[in-house]
Amino acid sequence: MMAADFLAHFTAFCRNLRAMGLPVVLSDAIDGSAALALVDIGDRAEVRRALVIALKIRARDRARFDQLFDVWWSGGPVWGRGDWPPASQRPAPHRVPVRAPAVVRTAVDRPGAVLERAEDGTPGYSAHPLLLRKSFEEWSEDDLSQLEEVLARLAVRLATRRSRRLVPVRGTGRVDLRRSFRNAAATSGELLTLARRARPIERPRLVLLCDTSGSMDPHTRFLLAFVLSLRHVVRSLEVFAFNTTLTRVTPWLSRRGVRAILERMAAEVPDWSGGTRIGECLGGFVRDYLSQLVTSKTVIVILSDGLDRGDPEPLERAMRAIHAAARKVIWLNPLMGDPRYAPTARGMATALPFVDQLVPAHNLESLERIVSSLSA
Amino acid sequence: MRPEIRRLQGEMERLGYIAEPEIATAVYLAQEMGKPLLVEGDAGVGKTEIAKVVAGLHDTELIRLQCYEGLDVNTALYEWNYQRQLLRLKIAQDGGRSPGELEQMIFSRDCLLERPLLRAITGSGKPPVLLVDEIDRADDGFEAFLLEVLSDFQVTIPELGTIEASVRPHVVLTSNRAREIGDALRRRCLYLFIEHPTLEKEIRIIKSRVPHASDRLTREIAAFAQAVRRRSLAKMPGAAETIDWAAALVRLHADRLDAETVRLTLGCLIKDQRDTATIGGEVIASLVDEAAAAGA
Repeated sequence: MMAADFLAHFTAFCRNLRAMGLPVVLSDAIDGSAALALVDIGDRAEVRRALVIALKIRARDRARFDQLFDVWWSGGPVWGRGDWPPASQRPAPHRVPVRAPAVVRTAVDRPGAVLERAEDGTPGYSAHPLLLRKSFEEWSEDDLSQLEEVLARLAVRLATRRSRRLVPVRGTGRVDLRRSFRNAAATSGELLTLARRARPIERPRLVLLCDTSGSMDPHTRFLLAFVLSLRHVVRSLEVFAFNTTLTRVTPWLSRRGVRAILERMAAEVPDWSGGTRIGECLGGFVRDYLSQLVTSKTVIVILSDGLDRGDPEPLERAMRAIHAAARKVIWLNPLMGDPRYAPTARGMATALPFVDQLVPAHNLESLERIVSSLSA
Repeated sequence: MRPEIRRLQGEMERLGYIAEPEIATAVYLAQEMGKPLLVEGDAGVGKTEIAKVVAGLHDTELIRLQCYEGLDVNTALYEWNYQRQLLRLKIAQDGGRSPGELEQMIFSRDCLLERPLLRAITGSGKPPVLLVDEIDRADDGFEAFLLEVLSDFQVTIPELGTIEASVRPHVVLTSNRAREIGDALRRRCLYLFIEHPTLEKEIRIIKSRVPHASDRLTREIAAFAQAVRRRSLAKMPGAAETIDWAAALVRLHADRLDAETVRLTLGCLIKDQRDTATIGGEVIASLVDEAAAAGA
């Protein structure tokens, strides 16, 4: 059996893994200690192997695990009950740094974007002008709940694809012998009616990649509110924000109102309203999340104006991978509200071959059209 | 390394599975702790093979449940044999039996068709190996159901009552990560992630599976596969593909790689049209040179 102080030491290790954002819970720690009892505790490599297996460390968390394991093994100085690592050094959970150093570009850097809008103001907000012309900062709770109502009505119309699983139905469908037979018990074994099964409607899974850079600013909050209002209708929703880095914001979605979520995003997504590196960010998404989050049932929605003057090659590679994995890629572009717009900005032009649908997203009417295509 | 783990590693190798310490440790811990082993990794890295080897180690039956979208309890657990039940009812119709007797007659174990999950827990004799293959393809509802079976090892059939496991199977689950496995199921298991093999391991794998390949060819094939994996491809070839390719080259009596042979047999290794285009032509020649340098 394990010595008590070693066990305490191990528990502290698990606690620190949790502090680093690794999903290690009590039952994992119990498995871990059971595994430690079965291996050679003097052998560093073996202990590491056993803990990776017993604590269920995923490939993407492996580097952080190794880092902490090495500290632990060498009896690092920071052990005990204290807060470790210090908050300043602690990586935020699920934040994916882009490898290249971030270059912050402001809207001023993007003459195209600013000019296009400066000429005739924000284009195309027409459906509910009073509500929609207002910037989000000025919105009251009432306005937002009004918008949410409109959006919720839209979201319900999210007609959907049929599942492959069979559920009991009345009327037409495949014969379900099990239920038919059970029903026949009531008529002393005579099969008078046949029970049937059919494929039910299936709600889509959505992955949203949202550009939160400066040039998107007038649109981001509005579009996010739209997509967030879908979160109760779709089967699952994953949201990522990107500008110079990619941030997974899904964990924040459990908060009640759209407004609270938006506020938290604006506060915590690094470099909100900064520059963009679309290619690198989408590349990071492909590397770390694509295989787990995107299946042939997933619809990917990218909210971006496609204004990116970086190297087109990483963007092309990332879009190719995303397109291959997902059921559908929809690109919502707020600039398309302007009739003179053509997708010639370099980023947009690079991505275009891998986009199933390029949709304008400047007013409610355009969003209405998206709803039906989400489900197809 | 613990002698038990080293011994296990040796035995796995004897059965044709080249196991790194990670894999041997995982199999050992799963066996000693009596927990299911969840194996993740790219296609072709040998996830399913682990279950086969575990069955070999214990000299026991391998029961496989292949998951797919729409897999339901009727297919995974049990189904009544309706034809037999109806037949019995018809025969008994005029026999004047009591309802109780009738019920026993039609809802008896011999009218029950055992599907893999039920078969895995009701066997007699040695505990079998239950392989739940590609669990990521089943929907989350099935995952929750599986969780129940794997935690209690008992199954309730309304007409028959609760059937408890007479033996606890060794359980191996595999996933291609097409979908994130739920946390609850993950926590119930031990977890192993298998990477693509290193050059040395791949050489040993080919030697063990395709013993007729010459040393030089084996080294060149492994080096070629490694070089291919360093390119950015849509579908990375796994060890399974390398083994197929080696077998194909042996059939063609190749004793070393040359550009022409590689071009003709590339379909064994690369199974994606875009990737074939990426690797085609001059790239093959340079990869062959690279492999020849490594194999010499």
